[in-house]
Amino acid sequence: MRVLLVEDEEMIGREIQEYLNGESLICDWSSNYGDASEKIFVNEYDFILLDLGLPDGDGLGLIKEIKENSPNSLIIILTARSNVEDRVHGLELGADDYLAKPFSFLELKARMQAILRRKSGWVKNIINIGKFSIDIEARKVYYLKNSIELTHKEFTVLHFLLIHCNKVINRYQIAEHLWGDHLEEEYQSNFIDVHIKNIRKKLGAFEPINWLETVRGVGYKINTG
Amino acid sequence: MRLSTKLLLYNVLAKGIILLIFLMGGPIFLHYFALKNIDTELLEKREYILTLISNNGIEGFFYEEDSLAGFGSYNILKEEYILLEKLDVAYPLDSIFNEERILDEVAVPYRVCAYVFGFENDYFLLEIGKSLETIQDLNAIIFRLMVILLILFIFFSFILDHSFNKHIFHPFKLIIQDKIAKINEPLAFDHSPIKSSTEDFRILDEAISQMIWRIQKAFNQERVFISHASHELKTPISILQSKIEALFSKGKLNHSEMEKLMDMQRTIQRMKKTLNSLLLLSKVNNAQYIKEEEFSLNQLIVEVVEEWEPIAEDKGIKLTTSRPLDFNLKNSNRSLCHILIRNLLSNAIKYSPSNSEVKINGSSISNGFLIEIIDEGPGISEERINQIQNGQVFLKDAHTDSSGYGLQIVFKIASFLGIDIHILNTSTGTNFQLTFK
Repeated sequence: MRVLLVEDEEMIGREIQEYLNGESLICDWSSNYGDASEKIFVNEYDFILLDLGLPDGDGLGLIKEIKENSPNSLIIILTARSNVEDRVHGLELGADDYLAKPFSFLELKARMQAILRRKSGWVKNIINIGKFSIDIEARKVYYLKNSIELTHKEFTVLHFLLIHCNKVINRYQIAEHLWGDHLEEEYQSNFIDVHIKNIRKKLGAFEPINWLETVRGVGYKINTG
Repeated sequence: MRLSTKLLLYNVLAKGIILLIFLMGGPIFLHYFALKNIDTELLEKREYILTLISNNGIEGFFYEEDSLAGFGSYNILKEEYILLEKLDVAYPLDSIFNEERILDEVAVPYRVCAYVFGFENDYFLLEIGKSLETIQDLNAIIFRLMVILLILFIFFSFILDHSFNKHIFHPFKLIIQDKIAKINEPLAFDHSPIKSSTEDFRILDEAISQMIWRIQKAFNQERVFISHASHELKTPISILQSKIEALFSKGKLNHSEMEKLMDMQRTIQRMKKTLNSLLLLSKVNNAQYIKEEEFSLNQLIVEVVEEWEPIAEDKGIKLTTSRPLDFNLKNSNRSLCHILIRNLLSNAIKYSPSNSEVKINGSSISNGFLIEIIDEGPGISEERINQIQNGQVFLKDAHTDSSGYGLQIVFKIASFLGIDIHILNTSTGTNFQLTFK
């Protein structure tokens, strides 16, 4: 999958590019409007991650060019702007999602997957781990044919860990995914432990879930072997 | 007391007093002028009789048997009389006075013109009288009429003054009630001028409008400043976060390194939280959220409770809800309402001891819907509540080791969405009452 990152801040751009490359994605990086416009005209991208505040123009203007030259590209706006109008305007122009800076890379990946599943069906809806199967679309968890009732938040935590399987995910990253901008400091991130405990309790009733590992003092990790 | 009521009372009292003076003085004037008129009439009649005597002699007035002793005559209704009497001893008299005469055993007041004159070596007393009963009757009728007119005048004057005051003060009412009292934030002020033919109200409206422009400008400057400042702060935070996440994703760290990164992550989260809270407060202050959504409050409570039930359970807190009826909230903002209820519930759970109970009760009241969040925690001091309501910002609360934005956000959102908040500190804990209208 080919991604164009339009980001003028060099240090952020480099890190996102490295992260996406590490996720087996081909990531081109433009740091200004002109260069991005040229790349959109020449190449076909699956994803375009677009910063709005560019030194030589407003990123919102690029959305029109993307829609004309690369209509199948999926667009996520990445910006530090907090205006609701910008967000609404961007989505009205045809962006698929909006991610406010500062954001977690894991959140970016989760959003990309959600858009892919919604728009293209590239991402499979059922994830199997052991004898458990997780239906992303229906937000259901099954053990063989037995349905397991998870709360909305518990399912979200499990899904997030599965998206980033085989990596240590710290509590803050999960908390940010759950509560977004309205994160309540240390206290709220500690609640992740409660949700994990409940997931373990509900799934563990069927068979031991050794694949869900606790990394002491840091967070959790799902090992798929 | 309202200005319009004061003016109305003043008008009624002033008119009433003036009319009362006229009412009291009227009969006196009337009596005076009536007497003057009678006097003139009596003098004219006297002159007429004297002319008759001068031309025809005096004998014609006396019957033969009277032999010039005296003459007296009343008209048929006893309203007037004339008396002519020969005097043995002459004395000067030319006077008009009131006197009562007994007629058929009834005393009748008369205005009497008495005059002594000489004729052919004799002196005569001429008296012409006119009854005053007619004037007194007329006075009584006019007085009654004036009382009725006074009452009617005051009544209609009150109605007219009231209508006029209402009409003339309508623009003032519009300025106070619609333009100032109903808005919770300066940005919601309606700058369209009010329609009024009263110059003073137009000047007042314009002055208020200009004052609000200045306030809006200051708010806008603050909004732009916070927006720019937060943007400038978000970029370095993003860089730090991306670097830390990059290190995490490498996956080749030992536990001690991971713990150090977690400390950094915690610091970043705190910065993000502070920044987001400031932005939220600024946006609510500047009315940057829409208020056009309609949603079920019960559904919202269900969502928040589902979110926090496991946490309460983990702390050994019993979370109970009571929602007998649903309430559809109109012209509001769901996400802000969610933040408001969630902040209160999370605080209640956070500060409640283990094995206690936190209740969320929803109930219909006459003017809307009441949500109560009741905990068994230590409560919030009055001083602290006043400080928060006055908009004081606490970056850090040393006592509870947390930021002071939570309640600040609660009060700002409530003010923006027009939700009344009451905090009751009871002996067993705190009761937050939210009234949705």
